Parts: sequence; C-alpha cells; structure tokens
Amino acid sequence: MKILYDWLKEFADITAPAAELPSRLSMAGVSIDSVEESAAGPVLDAEITINRPDLLAHAGVAREVAALYRVNLKPIQTKVKESSDAAAKVARVEIEAPDLCARYTARIIRGVKIQPSPEWLRQRLEALGQSSINNVVDVTNYVMLELGQPLHAFDLDKLSERRIVVRRAKPGETMRTLDGIERKLSKDMCLICDARAPVAIGGVMGGAESEISFSTRNLLIESAWFDPISVRRTSKTLGLRTEASLRFERGADIEAAAFASLRAAELIQQLAGGEALAGVVDVYPHPQSLCKIELSRKELLRVMGADVPDREVDEILAALGFAPVRVDVNRGSAGSLAAVWACTAPSWRGDVTREIDLIEEVARLYGYDKFPARLPPAKQPAARLPHAYEEARLRERLVALGYEEIVAIPLVDPERDAIFRPADTTAAVIGNPLSEDASVMRTSGATSMVSALEWNLNHGQKNVRLFEFGKVYEVRDGKPAETRTLSLGATGLAREQSIHQSAREFSFADLKGDVDQILTLAGGARWEPARMPWLASGFAAQLSLSPNGHLVIGAAGRLARSVAQRFKLRQDAYLAELRLEPLLEAIARHSAALRYEPLPRFPAVERDFSLVLSDGTTFAKIEDVVRALDIPELRRIEAVDLFRGGQIPAGKYSLLLRVTFQSETATLTESQLTDFSARIASALGEKLGTSLRA
Amino acid sequence: MADILEKTNLTFEKLGVSSADQILQLFAQLQEQFDKENRDFSAVGVRNLEHSEALRLSWLGRKSGVLTRVADNWLKPATPTFKRTLGEEFNKLKKHVDSTLEEILKSPSADSEGPSIDLSLPGVVLPLGTEHLVHQTYEELFRIFGSIGFSVVEGPEIETAYYNFEALNIPEHHPARDNMDTFYIENAPGYLLRTHTSPMQARTMEKQQPPVRIVVPGKVYRRDNPDATHSFMFHQLEGLAVDTDITFCDFKGTIEYFAKEFFGPQTRVRLRPSYFPFTEPSAEFDASCHVCGGAGCRTCKQSGWIEMFGAGMVNPAVYGFVNYDAKRYSGFAFGLGVDRLAMLKYGIDDLQQFFKNDVRFLRQFP
Ligand SMILES: [Zn+2]
Repeated sequence: MKILYDWLKEFADITAPAAELPSRLSMAGVSIDSVEESAAGPVLDAEITINRPDLLAHAGVAREVAALYRVNLKPIQTKVKESSDAAAKVARVEIEAPDLCARYTARIIRGVKIQPSPEWLRQRLEALGQSSINNVVDVTNYVMLELGQPLHAFDLDKLSERRIVVRRAKPGETMRTLDGIERKLSKDMCLICDARAPVAIGGVMGGAESEISFSTRNLLIESAWFDPISVRRTSKTLGLRTEASLRFERGADIEAAAFASLRAAELIQQLAGGEALAGVVDVYPHPQSLCKIELSRKELLRVMGADVPDREVDEILAALGFAPVRVDVNRGSAGSLAAVWACTAPSWRGDVTREIDLIEEVARLYGYDKFPARLPPAKQPAARLPHAYEEARLRERLVALGYEEIVAIPLVDPERDAIFRPADTTAAVIGNPLSEDASVMRTSGATSMVSALEWNLNHGQKNVRLFEFGKVYEVRDGKPAETRTLSLGATGLAREQSIHQSAREFSFADLKGDVDQILTLAGGARWEPARMPWLASGFAAQLSLSPNGHLVIGAAGRLARSVAQRFKLRQDAYLAELRLEPLLEAIARHSAALRYEPLPRFPAVERDFSLVLSDGTTFAKIEDVVRALDIPELRRIEAVDLFRGGQIPAGKYSLLLRVTFQSETATLTESQLTDFSARIASALGEKLGTSLRA
Repeated sequence: MADILEKTNLTFEKLGVSSADQILQLFAQLQEQFDKENRDFSAVGVRNLEHSEALRLSWLGRKSGVLTRVADNWLKPATPTFKRTLGEEFNKLKKHVDSTLEEILKSPSADSEGPSIDLSLPGVVLPLGTEHLVHQTYEELFRIFGSIGFSVVEGPEIETAYYNFEALNIPEHHPARDNMDTFYIENAPGYLLRTHTSPMQARTMEKQQPPVRIVVPGKVYRRDNPDATHSFMFHQLEGLAVDTDITFCDFKGTIEYFAKEFFGPQTRVRLRPSYFPFTEPSAEFDASCHVCGGAGCRTCKQSGWIEMFGAGMVNPAVYGFVNYDAKRYSGFAFGLGVDRLAMLKYGIDDLQQFFKNDVRFLRQFP
C-alpha cells in the first residue's frame, strides 16, 4: 500500500519528517520498504500485514502514526448540501443473501457533470499508482484510499427500475465486468443486480453496462459490506483481484459504510456538481455490536514477562481507539498487579477480539525492544533424533571414503523416475505442478543420484562420488508413505593420476569395497546376484545384512548402459540404494553387541594355494568348501591374485588363495600345517575339481 | 689384523692368554679393527643409516656380533683373576661402539639421503568427501539449540491440510494461505506437501504435555518459481517451547542466544512486530549485518540489518487444537530458513546452487 505523507497530515498533527517515519513505523509493525518523491509529495511504500485492513487507508495509517508519536487525530468533517427529496423515494435496495452482504447503503446524486478530475486529485491518484478515469470514479477511488471503504458508482438511469437486489448468482449466469470480460458466475458468488440483470460482482468489480460514462447524469453510490470469505473465494475463482476485493476479503469496517459514501457525495458535489438526495438507503438487517475485552496486568505479565507502566497502557489503547477504562478495585493506585482495563474494540479493528490481541497492541506500540532478553532454564535433557549417532557414523565413513554429500529436490520428472521405480509402487503425483519435470515425488533415490551425476559430467566434473540421505515417497491405498533411503553414486576415476601413483577407473570392485566398508558398521553384507531393470545384468546385486542373512537392505551395481544413454552419460556409473531405517537399527544392534577379543598370543601362519578353477566357480563356493573342514585354527581365507589367459586354458581361471592359521593355545607345528594344507587341497579337488598348480 | 676377529671365536684358554696386558692388547686391536671398518664405510660413501646399521649388525648383532662373541667366549668363561679387567675393557669398547654409532646418525649428513624433498610437491592424498552445507548448518543449529535444551523431532513432508493449516489457526480461505502457495497430491486426496515445518507443533503437542522444547528440521515446499532466492523446495528449522512460565522475554533471549552463537558474539538482534496466524504477539526477527557490523553494505541493502525469520508467542488459538490450557501454558515458536542462514553466513548469492549438487560447490565447504 502506497501512502502519501502529505495526505496523512490531513488526519493527524504529524510533525515528524517523512524520512523518519519508516524506521518508527517498522518497529511498530508497519514495514516501509521505500520512500520516494512524487508530484504529490513523499510516497511511503508500506507492507501491510493481512490482519490490518484498517491500514489500507490514509486515515488508518494516520491513526497508527498518531498513536506512535502521541499526537492528536483531527476529526474528519463533511459538508453535503442535501435536497428535500429523499433517496429512499428514488431507489430501492433488497438483500436476498444477507450471509454474503451484511450491509448495503445507496446514496443518490442527481445532475452531475462527468469530466476529467482536477490536477490535485489526478496527482494524488497517480502518485499512488492509480490512473485517473473521470471525476466521479476518481472520487470513489479517492475515498477508498482515504477511509478504506471501497465504493462503486452506478449510472442510476441504467439500473432497471432503479432497484438494487443483492443475491447469489444463478447456475450458468454470466456478466460482463468493467474490464470488458464476460465472466462465468457460480452460485456462491454475491451479485448486485437491478430489477432485470446483474450489474456488479459484489465486492469485486462492477459491470460494464451500468458503468459511469461522460453522458451519465444521475448516480447511485454503493457503499456496502461483503463477507470476506465469499469475496475471497469469488475473486480467486474468477482470477480477479481488485483494490476492492483486497479490502473486503480482509474485512472492511461495516460501520464506516454510510460515512464513506457521505464523504464521496461531498467530493462529487465539489467536483461534478449535482444535488445529493436526502439521507441514504441503508439496509443493515443485523447491526453488529462492538466487542468488549478486558486486559489485566496479570495476563500481560504472564505473556510478556515484564511490565508496561499504567500510563503507557492507557495512552496506547486510547490512541488506537480502544477506549480503555480501569475497572479494578485498585484503580486509584499506579502499577497495581490487579489492574484491569475494560476496552471496546472499534469497528475497524475486527482483528482484536481477545485479551492476547490487546496485549500485542500494547507491546508493539510500547516497543518490543523495551522487554529484556533472558534464557529460560532447561528442565529436560535435549534429545537427538533416534539413530542420530548411527547416522553420523555412516556419514563420516562415507566422507572418509571420498563421497560428497548431496541434497536433491524430491520433485522429479515422472518418466525418469519410472526407470528406477520399484515394482508395485505408485508415485505421489503433484496435482498442480509448476512444470512437468517436477511433477511427481521420487520413488527412488537413484532418480536424483543419476541426475546429479549427469549434472556434474555435463559440467566437466568427470570423477565424482556422491551420497545422499533422503527419502522416497509413494502412495499406498490413497495414503502417502515416506521411507528414508541412502543412495550412493560414483563414476570416473577411483584414483587420479599423480606423481605418486597411476590413475585407475572406478570399478564394480570399488563400489563393493565402499559399500562393504559402510555395511561393516552393521556387521557386514551378503551380495547376491539380482535383476533390476536399471542395473546392468551380471553387475547387479541384492544386498542383505549378513548376521541374519535375510534382511534385504538394498541393491547395488553398474547403471545399465541403456539407461546411461538416456541420461547421455558417456561413462559407466555405479549406484547403490539402501533402506536407511533397518540399516541404522542394524548398526545400533551391532555396535551394542561388540565385545573385546583377546589378542592372539601365538604367531599366525599363511599358506598359499595356486588353484585353477572353471569359470563360474565362485570365491564363495571355495570359502564354503574350506570352512566345511571345520579346522578350528583357520582364521582367514583371502583371494590374493586372479588371472585368466596365458597358460591357463580357456574356460578356466587361476586363483591364488591365501589361508591363514592361528592357534589360541600353541605355536602351530609343521606337521599340523602340512595336515591342514593336505585336507584343504584334497577337499577343493574333490568338491570343485580344482587342480593345484605348483 | 683380521685375525683379531678370529680370536673372538676362541676362549682365552685356547688363545693362551695369561696376563692382563695381553687382554688390554686384544681389546686395543678390537677397537682398531672397529675404527677401520667405520672408516672403510665412510670411504665407500654409503648412506648413514645403512652404515650405522651394518656396523651395528657386525659388532652388536645378537647372534654373531663381535661383542656378543667376546661376551660369550671371553667374558663368560673368564677366571676370577681376569674378570675385573675384562669387564672394564669390554664396557669401554662397548661404549666406544655405541657412541660411534650414535655419532654417525647425528652427523649433519645423516638424513640427507639423496636429493632433498621438494616440499611444494603434493603428498599422497586419499580423497575425502564432504558433508553438504545444509547438513552442516543443521548440525550447527542442533548444537546451538541442543545446548539450551531443545530436542530434535521430525515429521512427514506429505502432510494433511489439517496439520499444515487448520491446526495452526489458518482456516480455509484465510488470506495467509496466499503467502504459502501449496502443492497438492493428486492421488492422495487431502494431502499436500507441507509449506513449513510448523505442522510438527500440533503433532508434538497432541502427544506430549508441557514442558515442550523442540526443534524440527526438514524439507518444505512452496509453489514458487525458482530464482536466486526462491526454490520450490527448501529447508526449515522449526522451534517450539511451551511451559507454564515461558514469556516474551524468554523468546527474545533464545533468539538472541541463537544469533550470537551462529553469527558471532558481536551480533545484535531486534524484533519487529508482524503478523502470523499461529503466533501472537508476532515478530520479524532481524540480526545486525554480520558483514558490515551494522554500518550498511550490499548484503544488508545499506540498512545494517538482515531479516532472519518470523517468530512469536504461540497464539492461544493453537492450544485449542491440542487441548492445552491456554490460561496455564504459554510459549514461543519460530521457523528459520536453513539454506538462507547458510547463504548469509557464507555469502552465497544463489539458492539454486544448494540443489544442483555440483561437486565444485560441494567441495567449497569441506
Ligand atoms: Zn551490511
């Protein structure tokens, strides 16, 4: 809302210069964004909070400034010459929808001359960003900016039977508004009609038919009160926001209706001549009573924690129009803890209905800065989220492994998300998306992870390792569900070329190593072949936690090249997706179960076995065969070297197996070791058809 | 000369040693032999570490070191007559060997093994990752608010209109909804993407009687077109404290504590009256500009102040939704923008950077 400084001075004895007002007003709740010069003097650009429709008017802002500076408000006086004919004889008003329109007043002015507005009026309106139309329309706008009451001027002669009927729109009804657009109306909209047809949408905009033109001679000035919710709904439905609808939807001052049109009549007589008919046609079926509220010092202290002197309370409430009266038995004594002020909320302050509202009024004008700051004592220990500690351990391990944490926006492209979507999952679809590529909630962390890899590759960042703690979302039986997830993504070099070492591509083995390193926190993982449309077959694994073996926790593998191509990734990418909650629980369980093992006192001995195996014989199988021998001194089985080709026949590969033995009770003897080796060699030969190489 | 070493393999009996003079002579020869070997090594120019190690092995080695042999073959079987002289001589020689070895290592050239290291070359670096700035900022906020008794709780991002609006005293058709343009879920009627972390106010109070002191982290969504300061998803931290004795002064103290902890002890704060449906009295909270200290600069648009977030005393109407006695309890609530805090603190001028996840951005905040 733009405010003219000079106009404010017409309503209050303001002496503070315009440049000083912004800081003072801001600290009382009226934020001023800027002060600019105009032909009509300084213009303040005020941000008015939605609870204060009374400040969408110069008189209202002047009241606020007067309260702030404790200066006098000037009474607003109007002088209208009324003719002997009564307005009620000329026009009739009926309200058929009192729930949408609680008061409707009409004033009649005959014999006006429509012409351009004088310079002073045009200047003021233009300074406030309104264009000048003609003297009568400008006056209605002027009075709205002055008093906050939206008015509408009809050409009386175009109102059939000079009758106003306020009713709901009928199904299928339409009308052409002032802006020339044909509007489709619906039954919860409030219409102003004449005897024949709609002439305005109540509180929103007038109709084109009854518009003031240069041939208009006789006027009906509408000043009414429309229901805020109805106006808001109507203006939203029609996509039509006007200065009038803005004020009605926040709540206009119902008591100001008749006075505002009187003020308009005065100005119209000055600028357009004509005779104002006596009185006003005023249909106000249920006059509202003013709200009585008491403010007690006890409650003020309970909420604010520090006192405000009696005089300040009195002056502030009086200046704002609350007419405070001390009603407690101690009213003679200053600063009494029992002090109670009986107040009456003025009609323009519909936002004040409770004691807390009065407390806020007193506090903001007294000054928030006058209340001392102190820290409340804590009564309970502060708790972190469940598993915050386990999550921190995961995160620090990922960082140690060289992964960068990302944060992605979960609103994604439905086509992309569908690639990674688990079977039988329904995505949560946004009904009113901003754009198609952000119109579903992701069902997989991989959707965002691949996009993040894509972004980096497209920006010259070829070696990237990323992780994300996020959520995936779905709809199950009409209800949303959110599941926490941990995603990993890697592409490019695992190790970059340097003076110390050569470069190396990130491979499946790197992914496996990294995932195992983090799942060690939960006691380790099992990797089993899996099929997933977005992972390359043969390079895809289902992961389960090894202690119980059956808790599937996620998937990992190489991104299928067909998918990589859709994202235009020109290098292989590796992904892992883990369900976070069961993982965190497993980490907590595993950490709680950790126990000390005494360090071995006797030396460990290694024995190497050079094996030639058929392709398809897995390391896990070899391990199983060796472990099945139940050698208690067996400590570790490692694959130390693997190669194909050379002297190794096709369909076979060579594996160097290293087995470590150690006893808890004695140093192992040569004969024991020979025995172990022989048993292992023969078991491998027997079970796997392995030949031992020298 | 070398046969002196041979002699250490034999006992005195076999060597026919019969006087102390002979012993002194033997030890003199041993020392001469040691000094010669030492000189030979120096002449060859081997590295100091190898030099001293080789001498140590051949003279002090546990199995076949010269001095070990002397101890085994001469010292142990010695008759009481020679024991004293032998012991003294042995210790003298041992001391000489030890101190010579020490000298070698201490000599100025001891560590200059080959050309000296170019200190400006990088070491072997194992790449480390980073935690996202949003997460780092949350951690700092949890620390700050945790230190004054705020527990962390979380809630759903896909919310009901009831918790996102109604229970916060924002009924349908309330103009406040205009400032929070909302995404609705098409296939889960009645659900929306929460526009703030405030729904956890009612969710927490429904389940728990005061004292309540919580912070709520999480993603929030507004249907705003993305630009340098807007994103349709961003991060908030909601705060709520309710008890029998929480006042506006406690609210001010808490906000001030946060600002000083986050931006530094010189930070000043101010509260400007404002309006939010779920707080009353309501306030906008400003902090003195951490860039210019309040003198006015580009960051604070010359005002010396930076708008931080909205806050206030909990509106008693909100207690009505959770069956708290508004006459008995009071409290305050605030909702701060986490990305915005990080932008201010680190001078980031584009909110979009947070969610593009370009590693060149991520690595700036290790
Ligand atoms: Zn500044």
